[in-house]
Amino acid sequence: MARRTSPNDFRATRLPAATPPAARVAHLHVVGSDDAATIEATPRLHLDNVTVRFNARAITAVEDVSLSIGPGDFVALLGPSGCGKSTLLNVMAGFCPPTRGTVYLDGEPLSAPSAKCGVVFQKHSLFPWMTALDNVAFGPRRLGMPDPRRIAQELLNTVGLGAVANAWPSSLSGGMQQRVGIARALATRPPVLLMDEPFGALDAQTRSLMQEELLSIWDRFRPTVVFVTHDIEEAIFLADRVVVMQAFPGRIAQEFAIPFPRPRATDIMDDAKFIERRREIADIIRTEARKSFR
Amino acid sequence: MKGILRRYASTGSALLLGTAGLAIFTGLWALAAAKLNNEVLLPSPLAVLSTYAELLTDGSLLGDVRASIFRVFAGFFIASGIAVPLALILAYSRVLRGLVMPLIALIRPIPPIAWIPLAILWMGLGDPPSYFITSIAAFFPIFLNAFAGGTSLQHEHVNAARSLGAGPGALLVTVMLPSALPMIVTGLRIGLGQAWMAVVTAELIAAQSGLGYMIQISRLSLETPRVLVGMTVIGLLGAVMIGALGVLERRVIVPWNHPH
Repeated sequence: MARRTSPNDFRATRLPAATPPAARVAHLHVVGSDDAATIEATPRLHLDNVTVRFNARAITAVEDVSLSIGPGDFVALLGPSGCGKSTLLNVMAGFCPPTRGTVYLDGEPLSAPSAKCGVVFQKHSLFPWMTALDNVAFGPRRLGMPDPRRIAQELLNTVGLGAVANAWPSSLSGGMQQRVGIARALATRPPVLLMDEPFGALDAQTRSLMQEELLSIWDRFRPTVVFVTHDIEEAIFLADRVVVMQAFPGRIAQEFAIPFPRPRATDIMDDAKFIERRREIADIIRTEARKSFR
Repeated sequence: MKGILRRYASTGSALLLGTAGLAIFTGLWALAAAKLNNEVLLPSPLAVLSTYAELLTDGSLLGDVRASIFRVFAGFFIASGIAVPLALILAYSRVLRGLVMPLIALIRPIPPIAWIPLAILWMGLGDPPSYFITSIAAFFPIFLNAFAGGTSLQHEHVNAARSLGAGPGALLVTVMLPSALPMIVTGLRIGLGQAWMAVVTAELIAAQSGLGYMIQISRLSLETPRVLVGMTVIGLLGAVMIGALGVLERRVIVPWNHPH
């Protein structure tokens, strides 16, 4: 893929904020035959000047955000609370229609939640009245896929929870619940996985384990991932691209490419380049936060 | 294994304590009755027991119990059949909610007993006014809890279900109803208790059979042991039914709220 050029070429891969789609197509056009390039150039998700305004609270949560996300990209939306990153994710999921602008999923305008986008929520999103297995089998059942229980059992095995398939969610720990949530979102084999601070409510140790777990799951299915977080290290560790957002109104401040090779292990967090990138992103966030304080 | 043993042990000790409490109470009662020595003011537990035997053998107690239970269930089912659907519809429709809720707020403080004159005027004496009174009494706890259950629906659950391909019908059956169910069952349990209290009130005034009626005529003839038989039967039956509904709730209806 053109995006992942040389793992060490940090400066060259730094992209300007809100790359217009045309520029991105040109960027992707570098490799492969023309046909292959055209297929690859169709972004999986494309946000075109999306603005979300909550009139009841007179708040512009997201203003003029344009973003293209290619198939298989792992993108982190990073920013302080109130920067509209979760709202932006809800727009991509079809939960919240944008006030202006359009979201395209595989080139088609998105108007309602689609089974093409699996969503993992921060917490308490498992159906408490269903066992872990039935939670995961929910999507396959609704879509009429054959043998939903077998699909669910296999996914629970994948996330290491095969033994507690018949447990109620309330009897599982927070980390286990989130793993069931990830399995549930993956059960319909969606090409896109939208994750809204999925590890935000977990303790630091569980969180770190879950990040590694997520990368290994991602490596197996290779969905396009949009991952919302306010944790800079988490964003750099997981993603190929970190989109930094600013608040009031929510906009894209800057985008960073993260060309660490995969598979990644936690030891890259000690890498000098990792630390440098972390400092760079922290500076941007601090600058933006200071602006909105005035 | 150990866990099962411990559970048996704790059930056993609870039974023991409960029995001891009842025994102490009965002993105090027997003592007071012996001291007072007045069958009309306070009959002894033994006198009540022998009246139990007498009323059981002549079959009148069973007849009264049957009449009261039937009224309780009639009122309870009428109330649930109206309260649960109405509460869920109001929970999901803002316009209907605005239209109906003020009316409900005004009717709710009226005690069931205040409806008795109207009930007798409209329906005469006998079963219908008793159904009416018990259903009024059961309606409000069922309605209010079911309404709270309907409004406690979580956005995350709806969004998760929609992103997994659930349409409006599937949303109603697989998300909205089960998420309201725990509160609905709580309402049903309270409603059943209210129906038991109301059936006695209704029978005291508007009926010619049942435990409430039996208590009333026994009072007039100063047969206090019979009054106490009626009272204790009501307590016993109410406790058994509410307990059974509780077991049903934990094991069958909302097992996810009571894991283990």
